[in-house]
Amino acid sequence: MEKVQIPTATRPKPVQLSDTRVFVVTKDNYEEFVKEFTDIYGELAFVALSMKDYENLALNIADLRRYINQQKEIIVYYEKAVTEKENGDEIK
Amino acid sequence: MIKLYIAIFIVSLLAGVGYSAKYYYDTTQNTIATLRDNNAKLEVAVQTAQQSVETLQSDMKRLGEINNQLQISLQKAEAYGDELRSKLSKLNLVVEALKDSKVLEGKMNGASAKLWRGIVGDTGGNADIPTPSWLQRPPTGTGDQSSNQSGEGTDTNGDSTKASPVK
Repeated sequence: MEKVQIPTATRPKPVQLSDTRVFVVTKDNYEEFVKEFTDIYGELAFVALSMKDYENLALNIADLRRYINQQKEIIVYYEKAVTEKENGDEIK
Repeated sequence: MIKLYIAIFIVSLLAGVGYSAKYYYDTTQNTIATLRDNNAKLEVAVQTAQQSVETLQSDMKRLGEINNQLQISLQKAEAYGDELRSKLSKLNLVVEALKDSKVLEGKMNGASAKLWRGIVGDTGGNADIPTPSWLQRPPTGTGDQSSNQSGEGTDTNGDSTKASPVK
């Protein structure tokens, strides 16, 4: 019985992520934050997130990471299913 | 004269019997040859069927094994989110921020840097990227001077840190 030979596709190139910086600001360190932020970036313009929204953002990213990893594992599963023989040698 | 007829009859009878025997022999031999051919074909068919069954069985076994591996991997991929949810449920970030904003900031930035590198590694890239200088510098301002902002040990797994909202 012959198995259908399916060539495995090349993986997409890895993601390239840039570092992101957050500032934790409270009423106690607001003045200090304004000075430090202005020193670093020149202008005082920033995006503010509540702690709850920060948590949601972190959880959203965690879920996306889970999805990426699970998709990757499923692809690995299919690749093994179509390329490996019983003794573990690859057909390729 | 009668003897001649009897002799002719006997010869005819013997010829008839001989021809019948020859016909029977030929027919039987042909039948045997056909059956032998059929048997050989059936043996090949049975052998092929057995090989197919064995191949299917080994394939099913192998697919079962890699399917088990897949389930383990899928479960493992849930770990980060589960751990994060667990940490966030135990922490009150507002309280942590009011307690010491710089410590929390260092942990958040360290955890973010670790997360981005983790995702880069997950997608096959080089996760060994140097951390930015602002993450490595010593903490300033109202923060606890002993807090770790290097990105190392900025999660709750680190012994030197109190708690972290994100890994």
